[in-house]
Amino acid sequence: MSDSAAAPTSTGIDNKKLIMWLFLASDCMFFGTLISTHLLYRKLYPTGFTDAEGHVRFVQNLFDLELTSFSTFILLMSSFLMALAVSAMHKGQIASFRRNVLGVIVFGLIFLGCQVYEFTHFYHKGLTIQNSVFGSTFYVLTGTHGTHVAIGILWLILLYFYSFTGKLRGHVGALDVEIAGLYWHFVDIVWIIIFTVVYLVEYLGPNGIWGSAVTTLAP
Amino acid sequence: MATAAHHAPVTDKTELPVERSDIGLIRPDRTTGLLDWLTTVDHKKIGILYGAFAMFFFLLGGVEALAIRTQLAKANNDFISAPMYNQMFTMHGTTMIFLGVMPLSAAFFNFLVPLQIGARDVAFPRLNAFSLWTFVFGAFALNVSWVFEFGHLQGWFNNYEWYGKLVYKDFAPANGWFSYAPLSGTFGQADAALHAQRFTGVGTDFWIIGIQILGVASLAASFNFIVTIFNMRAPGMTMMRLPVFTWMTLVTAFLIILAFPAITVALIELMFDRQFGANFFNPTNGGQPILWQHLFWIFGHPEVYILVLPAMGIVSEILPTFSRKALFGYPIIVFSGAVIGFLGFAVWSHHMFTTGLGPVPTAAFSLLTMAIAVPTGVKIFNWVGTIWGGQVRFTPPMVLSLGFIWMFMCGGFSGIMHSSAPADSQQQDTYFVVAHFHYVLLGGVLLGLMAGLYFWFPKIFGRMPNAAIAYVASALVIFGFNLAFGPMHYLGLTGMPRRTHTYQPGYGWEDWNFIATIGAYILGLGVFLAFANLVWTAWRGKRTETDPWDGRTLEWSLPSPVPAYNFAQTPIVATRDAWFEHKHGGARIGALADGGPEGVHMPSQSWMPLLASVGFLMIGLGLPMMSMGIPHLGWLVIAGLGVLFLGIWLWAIEGPGGYHLKTPSAKSVAPTPTASVHS
Repeated sequence: MSDSAAAPTSTGIDNKKLIMWLFLASDCMFFGTLISTHLLYRKLYPTGFTDAEGHVRFVQNLFDLELTSFSTFILLMSSFLMALAVSAMHKGQIASFRRNVLGVIVFGLIFLGCQVYEFTHFYHKGLTIQNSVFGSTFYVLTGTHGTHVAIGILWLILLYFYSFTGKLRGHVGALDVEIAGLYWHFVDIVWIIIFTVVYLVEYLGPNGIWGSAVTTLAP
Repeated sequence: MATAAHHAPVTDKTELPVERSDIGLIRPDRTTGLLDWLTTVDHKKIGILYGAFAMFFFLLGGVEALAIRTQLAKANNDFISAPMYNQMFTMHGTTMIFLGVMPLSAAFFNFLVPLQIGARDVAFPRLNAFSLWTFVFGAFALNVSWVFEFGHLQGWFNNYEWYGKLVYKDFAPANGWFSYAPLSGTFGQADAALHAQRFTGVGTDFWIIGIQILGVASLAASFNFIVTIFNMRAPGMTMMRLPVFTWMTLVTAFLIILAFPAITVALIELMFDRQFGANFFNPTNGGQPILWQHLFWIFGHPEVYILVLPAMGIVSEILPTFSRKALFGYPIIVFSGAVIGFLGFAVWSHHMFTTGLGPVPTAAFSLLTMAIAVPTGVKIFNWVGTIWGGQVRFTPPMVLSLGFIWMFMCGGFSGIMHSSAPADSQQQDTYFVVAHFHYVLLGGVLLGLMAGLYFWFPKIFGRMPNAAIAYVASALVIFGFNLAFGPMHYLGLTGMPRRTHTYQPGYGWEDWNFIATIGAYILGLGVFLAFANLVWTAWRGKRTETDPWDGRTLEWSLPSPVPAYNFAQTPIVATRDAWFEHKHGGARIGALADGGPEGVHMPSQSWMPLLASVGFLMIGLGLPMMSMGIPHLGWLVIAGLGVLFLGIWLWAIEGPGGYHLKTPSAKSVAPTPTASVHS
């Protein structure tokens, strides 16, 4: 990138940090469109999906809220560790940075592992990308988020190993880590929104927010 | 971050020892020849490459347009078949919008923005090169579909198994430039290979992946330009002193970063439908094709302003120069541009009045669409106010700019007619719409961009295009354009439908269609003449002074062609139209004490942006060919992802690099007026 970290800018905001904020603004629209697609179809088709045997399945019976709550908590804690890693870099504590960033990577991998388990589990319960609109919107939305997490993990792994070359240091090094942190926090916040509007709202009220019955037809 | 050892300043990087990246790869250092053009990170050279590719694709899109017009010259014509006609108008629209107008605007962004704000380059020079090559390869992937179509017509594939299995054999995109679902999508249940049945051939897959790659290029460029405009301004260049073209670049870039995600998601959803049997737009399983229209136009309407705002910026630079007056109402022109940008996101459903949105949304979108006429009208009045009482010189750029105002206004008037939902219901999918958007996009945008080319060409190449040919070309373009598209208003209102490859005699359409075809050929001749004049000028044109037009903004203070470092010393700006004031007794331009004996720091060239873009090329070619059923092509897509990742990784670890370039002695770099002052 440019050697801007040293050079003063007109606004005082570093070039790299500004371009990351702009990317995140763009990514907001990206996830906004995906989430809108999901919610529009949920409102249109409140009753889950039909599995391979022809049974109507309800979303509430599909979700494993305990597992998803756990993975959400893990992702939140990874953001906490990311903040510690950024803070360590600003203080020049490279060993502390490595410890914390390794924690972020591990927590991120746990989250991805939960998602892989969840996808497999849902697939065996009969939800596929082909058999319903719900399957399409759910897998593509959460899968796109998972891809973002995976890219973040890859980025942090590269930063982790780069730190051993001794070149990740000073103001520029702290800035590079801070920008990776911005991305990580953003991906985390997006998950909080997805967890709320894709998972939690399904349990609002006796019949779910979309009006599908939970108890009567549950297989 | 790898920072090059501080060498003494040089006049050419090849004088220095070879620069290596951290893992030992040699960085390119040639400043001439093919190697230079492939690895350059200089915004001016990237701008020239954008312009060259855009002009090529303009001519290609023009040939497609002439094929369409030839087919329509008479009733029941059979110049091209109906499937070929579908591919022609789809690729004509796609080419003109994504490969013609947008890159030509990007050429101006690249060349001008750093010069106008007093910067030495964009914020991220290598990202800029990446945008360029990603655009080039996206455009290439899209047009490879024509090669397959040609091979199909020639019977090259007759002996291949995959060819025999194809249901639809239209290889170039054939759904119209907005690829409406369900035509572009699927129907029925997905089979074991995850394929649902499709309505169209693999041309649609070329279109889907091509537009996504072009979207990446546009997004990367837009991030870069917003940062450049916010952060790289010379001292004293406040936001309200920015040249209007730079302002419109900023608004356009914001439109791109906020509008392109919508089309990206829509394309991903459509791709999942076609490749993996998802149900986003598949009506059999409850998918709603109308969703495609919404997602497309949430992008598509801002896209209209993405196309037109740069041309408005260009015209806002040319009119003051040749009226010898400051732009009338600078702040209101800037704010109108921003308001157009905001409102652009709130009017998408006026493309969908006939889909049955219900009375409340229809009324709301109707009203908002009418509201957009206000800031646009404000701009036109301000341009007229700029010319009013000025010392007008009718140079070729000025003639084209005046043509822009007039033609764009005609397009605006028919646009206001569309904003009325009942009227629009009658005009939907007729030639009236075709007339409207060609008046806006051709009479408006193309004339504006041509004006910009003739205005800045002396700055880009230091050579002046032949004025006599330019006048003739301008006259041919404006006359031919009106002859081609004026009659379409009438044709549309009498019911001639768009996108229909022929028409029956006896509806009273034959004469006007024939006249429109003649007009199209005159227009094509004019555009060709105008471009040929420019190409000839670039090599052989008459050398000209640095400031031939008595320009107003900073780029005219520089030598032509502009040196690699742009400004030997960073200018200190004290006013709007800084260079004009400087020359004519107003506030002087100061100079920072940089770029002295230590030279100017220049970024090193790099192969990595090109390498990362090659990854996109492999994905862009592999995915549609995989979709055709050609075996093993999935590996090309995976390899493409690998190359993309490798390019980005090598890019990150090689660092910006850099060296110091000698500048002329401090005495000669102080800005001095060199233009003959017109009395």
